[in-house]
Formats: sequence, structure tokens, C-alpha cells
Amino acid sequence: MAAEKLDLLILKALALAPLHGYGVGQRIEQMSGGVFRITLGALYPALQRLERLGLVRGSWSVSENNRRARYYTLTAAGRRRLTTQQKAWERTAAAMLRVLHGEGPS
Amino acid sequence: MMRALWRRLRELVTPHQLDREAVDEMTHHLEMAVARNIAAGLDEVAARRQARLEVGSVASAREHVAEERTGFALDQRVRELRYAARVLRRSPGLTLLSIVTMGVGIGVSGLLFALVNGILLQPLPYPEPDRLVRIFDINREAGLARRGAASGNIAQWRQRASAFEGITGYYSTGRTISVGDGAEALLTAQVSADFFTVLRVAPLVGRAFTPEESARATFNSAAAPIGADPVVILSHGFWVRRFGGDPNAVGRTVMLERRPFRVVGVMPPGFAVPEPQVELWIPWHISTESPRDQHFLGAIARLKDGISLAQAEEQLNTVAQDLSVQYPGTNGGWRVELSPLAVETVGGAATVLWVLLAAVGLVLLVACANVALLTLMRGLDRQDEVAVRIALGASSGQLIREFLLESALLSLVGGALGAAIAVGGLQWLPTIAAGLPRIDEVAFDVRSVAFIAAVTIMSAVLSGLPQAWRRTRVTAIAGLSTTTRGSTQGRDSHRLRDAIVIAQVALAVILMAGSGLLVRSFQELRSTAPGFDPRGVLVVPIFLDNVQYAAERTRTYYRTLFERLAAIPGVVSVGGGTTVPTSPLGPGGERPVWRADRGTEGAANAQATVRVITPGYLQTLGLQLVDGRAIDDRDTPQGPRVIMVSRTLASTLWPGESAVGKQLVIDYSTGTYPYEIVGVIGDLRFRGPRSEPGLEFYLPHAQRTYLILNVVVKSAGDPRQLMPAVREAMNSVDPQVPAQSMYPLADLLGATYVRDRQAMITLLIFAAAAIALAVLSIYGVLSQRVRERSREIAVRMALGADTSTVIGWVARSGLRLIVAGMTAGLGIAWAASGALEAMLFGVTPTDPLTVMAVLVGVAAIGAIATVAPTWRATRINPVEILRR
Repeated sequence: MAAEKLDLLILKALALAPLHGYGVGQRIEQMSGGVFRITLGALYPALQRLERLGLVRGSWSVSENNRRARYYTLTAAGRRRLTTQQKAWERTAAAMLRVLHGEGPS
Repeated sequence: MMRALWRRLRELVTPHQLDREAVDEMTHHLEMAVARNIAAGLDEVAARRQARLEVGSVASAREHVAEERTGFALDQRVRELRYAARVLRRSPGLTLLSIVTMGVGIGVSGLLFALVNGILLQPLPYPEPDRLVRIFDINREAGLARRGAASGNIAQWRQRASAFEGITGYYSTGRTISVGDGAEALLTAQVSADFFTVLRVAPLVGRAFTPEESARATFNSAAAPIGADPVVILSHGFWVRRFGGDPNAVGRTVMLERRPFRVVGVMPPGFAVPEPQVELWIPWHISTESPRDQHFLGAIARLKDGISLAQAEEQLNTVAQDLSVQYPGTNGGWRVELSPLAVETVGGAATVLWVLLAAVGLVLLVACANVALLTLMRGLDRQDEVAVRIALGASSGQLIREFLLESALLSLVGGALGAAIAVGGLQWLPTIAAGLPRIDEVAFDVRSVAFIAAVTIMSAVLSGLPQAWRRTRVTAIAGLSTTTRGSTQGRDSHRLRDAIVIAQVALAVILMAGSGLLVRSFQELRSTAPGFDPRGVLVVPIFLDNVQYAAERTRTYYRTLFERLAAIPGVVSVGGGTTVPTSPLGPGGERPVWRADRGTEGAANAQATVRVITPGYLQTLGLQLVDGRAIDDRDTPQGPRVIMVSRTLASTLWPGESAVGKQLVIDYSTGTYPYEIVGVIGDLRFRGPRSEPGLEFYLPHAQRTYLILNVVVKSAGDPRQLMPAVREAMNSVDPQVPAQSMYPLADLLGATYVRDRQAMITLLIFAAAAIALAVLSIYGVLSQRVRERSREIAVRMALGADTSTVIGWVARSGLRLIVAGMTAGLGIAWAASGALEAMLFGVTPTDPLTVMAVLVGVAAIGAIATVAPTWRATRINPVEILRR
């Protein structure tokens, strides 16, 4: 579940534009209003996994401050995965909320 | 997709580059975070600290990335396996030694398991074999051990006992068979009507005997059928050999004792009841009219469902008791004993096989210990490497996995080698283990393969664990510091190493004690006088048929034959008897006998074995005449009825006085007859050294003429060389009488202890292997200890210690291990020696000579293993060592 959530966050962060690792972390932190803060030990294994699965593609280039950095791009497969995962997550989240607020079936 | 695959490939092939890239990336990430914090107004140091708090350290993240990368189980195993293989390749000599040790250990134990499995564990090849039992007659009141069943009793049991689905009786005997030309003497079995029904095996071709065929199959003697249209069922082997496997053989004729028998069926291959050599089955009518006092039938019964062997035995004994009340003359005191057919089929081989399997298990343990020790020693060279890896954060679980993988790899290769050895050995088995029951059924099946696999896994764990256990106890600092100083290691590893060696010595001592006992027992067997002299004696079983040969013609045949045999150059003497010591062939049987002056009262009613002999029998077999005279040509058919008795029979009936001249009464089922005792024969172990001399009487062949005689010819030289001349002589008397099987009597006697010899040799080989491995271990450990402490020895020598002190130190180290191992081994051997008891002859399990031999052997082991390391210790040059 945890790995699934992190994967979804990363894919979402990369949906708008390619980013390097730091950028991914920043974007997720921003989007979550500072709630999700991702450490190196969580982020990079996840990126590596996603790359192996063919959902993102990493390539070396030069960053905004003129340093060599690895930029990650969402692949077509990654985009498809994002769509399905997002729907699944929304369903889950909605269901969780209903359960937690004690609402009956509508 | 391709990219993903490419990535996987890179992960496998160039993990280091990926690692570097990840570190670059993460360092960049950290720098960016630091930069952001500086921009937010923190100074350099605070910004860096803050960043590390926020995103964590690169070093630990790097581990996580690497772990994710190799997290796939298979990838990880492949990597570790590659590592283990590399480690093993680094010391090819040790690796090869370990593999061969393992391979031989696993192979031999696999082979023995295949034997145990095929012979003892596999059910007999009949439906529901666990319901099949053998029934024996036994008479404890008369002091008679197990005997065959009496045919009349079998018929009574069938009517009165409800615990059985069926009871069948059989009797196997040699007969002369011919199909067209060429007669041969074969083992045949006369079987009662429901023989094939009880065993639930149907003929492959044709049919079993009908009740009518069985009912008319009566015999005037054991050999001669008198019923009309006799029938026969063939063994598969006979069918193929003599009829070429022709299905139309059914309906054709086989000549048995020159009488035509019609073939009605052929049994499937492998059907070997009651004995593997049986080639033909003929029906036999058994009824309540049959004799109840002739105990020579084999009896097999099938228990009804839900009836236990004990219940059946109890019920049948009630029946036997009723019979003994009803017919006290024939059945007095007779009871029954039941035993599973599987147990009876295997007989004494079971103990031998289990003992040998246990012994090979011990050898395998020694082999494992050796490999463990070798691995442990090889590990010493890698002490620094392990310490570094622990310092760098390798987890102990990972290390254990790696070490186990090393030994797993060794065992795997060893196991493959072992499987090859076992499969190869199986081809040789019929040659080396001839004489074992059911040996033809032994084959590699799933169970044997599973056993080898299990043994391989066990070996891997046993040989890897000590190493793994020790390695994980190497702490980074201790490991690094000891290796840099290069002196001694922790006490733990010493103790572990010593414990392994002690265990090995103990195991070797157990095997030595066991094989020592078997050697002593074998010596006793060989030196026990059997009461006859087999040297130079050729045994020629001859079966005359009852159609051509009436009593007078039979006597003429044998007389003529003896004359011609005696004329052969090199022949010392000739004789004949219905039975010959240690030969299974020939009619036997027991009859009640008593003193003529006492009648049947009291203890006089002894059961004695009937033997019929010709003049020359005693001389040819080297039997002792202890009193009176031997049977000779004076004893003619018309002369007074005479008899010879065994010393045991004489002293039983006439204790303290000579039996010669006394009258002995024999009770045949047809009547009682008195005989005059003319001589007493010295005690004879008729079935080999393990048997006891029995109650026996000997009748002259001239007065009780049997068709079947085992002719014995004594040669001055090798009895085998007589064979062509004997065959020629037989041909010249009657070419219709077949002469195939002749064998030296020495071979028959040897066959009675062939199993003892096999067990002894096998155990000796095992013990030798264990000893060799133990010597290797002691040598290795002592050498290493000398190497480790060479610095200390050098210092002592520099300080003035002389050579004898050094020798004393090394020798004491070795002695400590050996004495500890020997004490433990002898203790265990003592406790476990009962297991061998059944195999021993004339030796107690605590035989002092054996213990002595073991002590001497262990001392020799110690000396051999200690010499080289001691010598090396004395050659240490203090100057050279201390200068390093």
C-alpha cells in the first residue's frame, strides 16, 4: 500500500513535466501542502523501480543550476498506469472516508 | 519494454555503475536541499544539518537503492551463487576434496538406501501384501522350533478358522523336466488349490488350476502323481526359454519325470513364490485325510480385513489345541506361529541392511564434518574480508546465507556425483550383493531419488552451519584486529574445530568397533568345525523318474554309476545321500522315534530327521564315526534293518551308554518299524556353522531306496575338474538322466556365510573411509594450530625451550582430541552394540579383543596424524619468524 501510494504520487508529480529527483520531492511536498516529505531512501528506490517497470524513463542532462542531473519523464505506459491508479485510489479514498465518517450505503 | 529489459540487464551486469549513478543523483538532491536552506537564510553548517534531517543520508539511501535493485529473489540468489562459486574456485584442491568426499558419502548411502527400499520397504509384488502371513507349526512341549505345516492340519484350519480368506500349502522339490529333447533338473512347487487365489496373482497366459484338477492331483509319494491328466503352470522364464514365449504353449505338453503334464497357464514375470528359482507349479490335493504329522509344507494365508495377525494367531492356536485334544497321537503339543510374509521373505538380511545403512549414515556424518572443517579452515583465509564486510554493514543473515550457499554448492555437485555413483553401483549390485532376497526388485524409484536429495540437503546444512555460525560471531573490530596481528583467533572457533574433530574420531571408533566385531565373528564362523570336510568334494544332485525306475533298477543305476565314478582318475571316494550338508536340495522330513525297550512314554518321543545314505557317504564327506560301524555293502535289501544315529540322538535316548546294538523304533505314517543301531556319527552342523547339531538318523539306501540322491565325489585336487568326467559317466549309464548342476561342497558351505562376509567387508570399507577422513582432520587441525602459533613457538624457542617441549605441546594437542573422541566413541559403541548382536557369531558385543584392536587402531590414527605437524613445529626457525 505504502509503495503503491508513493508510486502514484511520483507519477502524478511527473504528469505535468519531466523533473529530476529533487524536483519530484519538491513537487510532492508542494502539492500536498507540506504533508508528504519524501526522503532519499524512499524516493530513489521507488524511481528505480518505476524505471525498471517502464513507467518512467530517466536520462542525464544539465539542471537549472548547471549541474549534471537525471531527469525523469513519464512514459506512455506510466501515463496509463497513472490514470488507472488514480481512479482506483479515488474509489478507495472515498470508501475510506465513508467508513470513517460512519455513513451508511447511499 | 526494451528499455525495462535493458535496465534489468544493466542491474545484473554492471551493478557498480548503477550504484555510482545513484550516489551522484542523491548527492545532487542533497546539495539542492542545502542550497534551498541557505537561500532561506541558514548558514552553511546549519543548512547541511537541516537538509540531512529532511531527506536523510546518502549512505543509507544508497543501501536501500541497492537493496531494491537486488530485491528480486532470483537476481539476489544468482549474485550470491556467483560469489560462492568464485570463493570455491579460489581453492580448487580443497573444493575437489570436499566434493569427492561428499559424492562418495552420498553415493554409497543412496545405494544402500536403494537396497533397503527395494528389499525391506517396498511391499511384496502381490495385491494387499500386508495381509499375507506365513504359518508355521511349532511344538514347545517337545522342544521343537518352527516347522513346516502338515497338510492334514491345513485342511482342518481351513474348515475351522474364520480369520483367513484362504490358506494355501506348497512344497518345492527338484524334478526332471523335458520338453522335446534335453532334460533338465528344475525346482518345482506342488501347490494346493487356492495358491494363486490367496496370493491374488492370475496367470499371464491361460488360467489357474480348476478345483477338479486340484482334487485329482494326488501323489503316491512326494514325487509321483497318480491322478489322471496331470496339469502344470509355467514360470515366465521357463515359458520364454523353452517355448520362445509362444502363447500357444497352453495346451501343449511338458514331460515331468517322463510323464506328460498339460500346460494350462503361464505366470507373469517376477512371480517367485515360494522361491525365486521355482520354474513350474503343479496342483496338489490337500484334504482332512492328508497326514497331520508330517511337517514339511510351506503355508501362506491371507488374513480377512480387520483381523490382526495376533487375532488370527490366537484363533488358529485355539483350533490347534482342539486338534491336539482330538488327535493326541499326531497333534499332541502342536501349536502354530504366524509371521508376515514380507518378513519371512527377507529373513536375516533385514538386520544386515539396517546396520549397514546406519553405518553408512555415520560415514556420511564424518564426511560432512570433514567438509565443514575444510570450509572452516578455508574461512580463516577470508577472515579479514569478512571483517571488512561486517564493518561495511553486511547483515549477519546475509553472511549466513552466503556461507550456506557455499556448502550448498559443494553438496549439490557432490550430490550429483553421488547420484552417479549410486546409479552406477546399482548395475553392479546383482554381482556384489548376490544372495540377497528380492535383489532383482531393487531399482531407483522416486523414493530413492528423494532420499538422495534429502541427504544432499542435509549434508549442505551440516557442513555449512558450523562455518556460518562461527563467521557471524566475528565482530568487525575483533576480526580486523586479529587479522592484522596475525596471531591467534577467538577461543570459540578453536572449540568448534576441536568439537568437530572429536566427533569424527568418535564416529570412526564406532565404525571400527562394529567392523572389528564382525571380523571376529567371521573368524569364529570360519574356525567352527562344521563336522564335515568339504575339501575336494563335488556334489551332483541326481533325480531319477519313478516311471522308468523301480527300486531295484534305481539301486542298479546308482551302483553302476558309483563304480564308473570311482574309476575316474583322481577320485578318492564316492557316495550318496538324500541330503548333503548345507545343500537345500533333497527330500527331508522328520519322524518320531523312540527306544524299543521304552515305547512312546515320557521324553522318548523325539522328532528326528530322516537321512538316507549309501556306503562311502561318511568317508567322502569326512564324517566322524564315533561308535560302531558305518553302513556298508553288508546292508542289503534282504538283510536285517540297520540304522546309524547322530551323536546327539544317541546321547538323548541313551545317555551315558553306547547306543550301538540297541533297537530304535521309527514311526512312519504307514506303521512303526524297529531298527538296529550299528553306528554313531559325530555331530554335524548340517546347515552350516550357525546351525546346531540335531537329532538325526541315517538309513541305508539299499534298504530304503530313494530316487533322488545327492551324489558326492571326493577328488584329490580341484573338484571342478571332475565335472566333464562325471557328466560322461552319467551319460554312459543313462543318457536320459540330466546332469546340469554340480557344485563344489566348499561353495555351498561358503554360501552359508556369504552374507557375513559381505557385511564384514562393507563395514570394514566404511570404517577405513571414516578413519582416513578422521586422520585428515586431525592432521589439518594440528597443522593449522602449529601455523597459527608459530610466532609463540618461535618466541619460546628463542627464550630457550628445547625441541621436546615443542613436540610435547603438539602431541598433547592431538592426544586430547583423540582421547576425547575415543572415549565418546567407545561409550556410544558400547551402548549401541546390541544392534549388532543378531549378526554376531561366537562373539559378545563387548569382545575384549575388539576393544583392544580399536585402542591400537586409534593410537595408530593418532600417531599418523600427529607426526607431520609435530615435525613441522620443531622445524620452526625463530629468527625467520620473529623477523617478519
